[in-house]
Amino acid sequence: MKTTGRESHSDRIKKTKLTMILGYAFIIIAAVMTVSILTLNQTSAIMEEKVNNMTAALNVQLKLNIDSYLSKLETTGTLIFATPEVYGYDAVNPPADEYEALHTEDIITDKLMELCIMENYVDFGIVYSNNHCTGKISNGTVNLFASDLYTELESVITRQRTTDGWATGCLGDYKRIYYVKRVNENAVFVASFYTTELENVFVLPEDMSDMTVRLVSQDNSVIYSSSGDETGTLLPEAIASRISDHSHAAVVDEEYLITVNNCGDEWRVICSIPRSIILDELNDIRNSTIVIACVAAALAILVGIFLSIRITNPVNTLVSNLDSQARIDRLTGIFNKRSFEETVESLLSDPQRNEIGALLVIDVDNFKGVNDNLGHSYGDQVLANIGTILKRTFRSSDCLGRIGGDEFAVFISLPADEKDKFCDIVNARCEALCEAFRNNYTGDDNTYKISASIGAALSPDHGKDFAALYKCADTALYSSKKKGKDTYTVYENSMQEAGDSDEN
Amino acid sequence: MKIKRAAALCLSAVLLCSMTACGDKTTVTKHNDQVNISFSWWGNDVRNEYTIKAIQEFERLNPGINVKCNYSEWSGYQVRSNVQMVSHTESDVMQINFAWIEQYSPDGMGYYDISTLSDHIDLSNFSENELAFGMQNGRLNALPIALNTQTVYVNRSIYEQYGLSIPRTWEDLFEAARVMDGAHYPMTANNKAAFFYMVSYAEQHSGREFIQKDGTLGFTDAEFQMMLEFYSRLINEKVMPQIEYFERLNLDSGNYAGTVAWLSDASSYLGGAANAGYEVEITDYTELDGAETLGWYTKPATMYAISANTEYPEESARLLDFLLNSKEMAELQGVEKGIPISRSAREHLEASGKLTGLQYDAFIKMNEYSGKLKVISPYMENTKIIEQIQESCNEVYFNKVTAEEEAHNLRTKVAEILAAAQQ
Repeated sequence: MKTTGRESHSDRIKKTKLTMILGYAFIIIAAVMTVSILTLNQTSAIMEEKVNNMTAALNVQLKLNIDSYLSKLETTGTLIFATPEVYGYDAVNPPADEYEALHTEDIITDKLMELCIMENYVDFGIVYSNNHCTGKISNGTVNLFASDLYTELESVITRQRTTDGWATGCLGDYKRIYYVKRVNENAVFVASFYTTELENVFVLPEDMSDMTVRLVSQDNSVIYSSSGDETGTLLPEAIASRISDHSHAAVVDEEYLITVNNCGDEWRVICSIPRSIILDELNDIRNSTIVIACVAAALAILVGIFLSIRITNPVNTLVSNLDSQARIDRLTGIFNKRSFEETVESLLSDPQRNEIGALLVIDVDNFKGVNDNLGHSYGDQVLANIGTILKRTFRSSDCLGRIGGDEFAVFISLPADEKDKFCDIVNARCEALCEAFRNNYTGDDNTYKISASIGAALSPDHGKDFAALYKCADTALYSSKKKGKDTYTVYENSMQEAGDSDEN
Repeated sequence: MKIKRAAALCLSAVLLCSMTACGDKTTVTKHNDQVNISFSWWGNDVRNEYTIKAIQEFERLNPGINVKCNYSEWSGYQVRSNVQMVSHTESDVMQINFAWIEQYSPDGMGYYDISTLSDHIDLSNFSENELAFGMQNGRLNALPIALNTQTVYVNRSIYEQYGLSIPRTWEDLFEAARVMDGAHYPMTANNKAAFFYMVSYAEQHSGREFIQKDGTLGFTDAEFQMMLEFYSRLINEKVMPQIEYFERLNLDSGNYAGTVAWLSDASSYLGGAANAGYEVEITDYTELDGAETLGWYTKPATMYAISANTEYPEESARLLDFLLNSKEMAELQGVEKGIPISRSAREHLEASGKLTGLQYDAFIKMNEYSGKLKVISPYMENTKIIEQIQESCNEVYFNKVTAEEEAHNLRTKVAEILAAAQQ
């Protein structure tokens, strides 16, 4: 049976439900996105601050380490002044007694060895202005400075108050770091250690292994680098330009996080980490957050949909039932008058509809006699059976309705391009219906003979709205009645004129 | 009811998640377990540099092991080592001198028994005889790195400059000194090499051993007097400079025409002169014609031992195996410590064509004398003995006392030191 026409309550409820779900999904997604973005921004800011603080703290610790290491050597070296024989001896003008001179040098060497015995110092001795040495002066140092041994070492002294100084890169050799202190006017104390020893000074925590630690001299030459292969080269420009000549600073920009601290008087400890490494970790966090947010949003939406369905389904069913009850005639199971009219009106007024139609108005002949002779209950059974006959006679796409006590109507549609055979089809349907009445209600076997009188009008030929069409069909029905009932009549324009003349 | 139940379930889940996220929580971040062991050695710059590189390589290959390096030149190292051994702060893996086995582990308990670590050290690279160098009281206390002996090196170019042939006997040396007349020294030595030179002289002339097989002092006053007089004569007749004035770099510049030094020092002592264009070679041991004994000794160059107190014997053993048998260490070390005894290390060197040069020539020369060289007594390298002899040499040289008087004094003191060391 045709159900198109005005939008049903169920459809409207479905639309409302869909809108609700979409709206709910939008709110959930928007909320999750907002929370995620806020969280990520907050995390990013906190993480950068933490890394910044950690780097600064680490730098201070490393600075203290190197200060402590260098200070220990200086202090140990200073102990040579605890023994007058050591700082008072002048190898340039030794005692006349060579035996005595050798004996004194033995004492000096013993004292120096005693002081440095537990340390990995490469040099720990005294060099005199005639290049004579006591204590431990390595072949590497002697080879490096050769005949300029004393003068080169003397030039390392830069601090006037304590008459000492630190140097590396001497004659281009960055393998050792030298400490030189004046002993007397003809002698300097020399101590040195391999640059590799600084690996034990600049030990990075495992978590900070992406960081590069450098010790640089006053001219920005790299003395030590945790990345290993930079010793002797200039500090990379990217780092140097950012820290300028700051002695204590933390620099954070789009590319680097750098901290600087002075150590000793002239060297600097520089810790640097590319921001991209920190951002990599942030990206990991962002990706994880997005995945979690998506999963949470999807779950929330699914739960929402589930709850929506659980809540609206019973209402939908109830509304659907009520809607159906309001539209269907309970006795015959076809549209009642109002629904039939609305449906046909809706079809006729649809501008997209490219169909031709026929409205059949059916009046049950002699039905009053059924009620009078066999009772209303039987009459109701007959009416119900007529509904069945109509359903059986017409297509499911045809619109059926009970428009009066014993009056029925059918609206038949066909595509417009089948107009030629439409009249034949209408005639055939009418004849089939009359025949069905004849067969079902013959008057034998305790039945009461009833028949159907049918009036048919065609759309758009006879009318373009329900009222006009109904009027024509009713006129045709009147004609069938006049012909003696149990027949059908298709409206003709002449009938209007006749009717009009009759009325006149 | 169903709806209510579903809503309750959802609410419970949310609450549970919230409680899990916000509740008290202890976070434990597990860092890689690092084992810290220490390794000590003595040596010059060259040895220090390649050993530090080797340790970095070992740490790279064994990420769980961190090695702390302790190093010094020889004299400082032996004092430090003594302090550490006595105070039980010695390194887990140590380069030790052959003599120290007797000194620190007379009962074999002073060092770890390496034979118990054979799962981690490939001992099959050493023969029974080679392992015997490190055996003490049935325990494998140390593994030898290379064999060593005092070797005589000469700068042939200088000798030829004077029209001299390479000295073979003691008197040839004095003759060369007369010809060179102080412009060059025909032979030189540091304090330990000079000691061995004097011992050899005295043993050849007397036929007595400095320290006898039973560990007792073999020299009498006469042999000590011979040594003291020999030293003064070497200095006075300008065969060599005083020990205190020996400067290795004078070999590079050609000021010294010869030197006595360990086989393992061939490259570091003579490499400079060879690079400077001098014709440097290993020559025969200085001898007394007709002498019954050669008076020259051989020993394991240096050895590696593991601390008896180490907390990490397995890691220490892995380091030891790396130092002795690995390709990486063999490549870096070359023949700097002498020709390696480890078969594996020797094969690596042979494959890479590194068994050449002065060090290898010295090794070949040592093998020529293999029947005559005696295995050194552990006590012969006792620092106190050597220092005492040097002091006595100076007393005599500076005429503070006569050689005859000092010889008796010296023998008494050496005997005391020896007795103390053997207690």
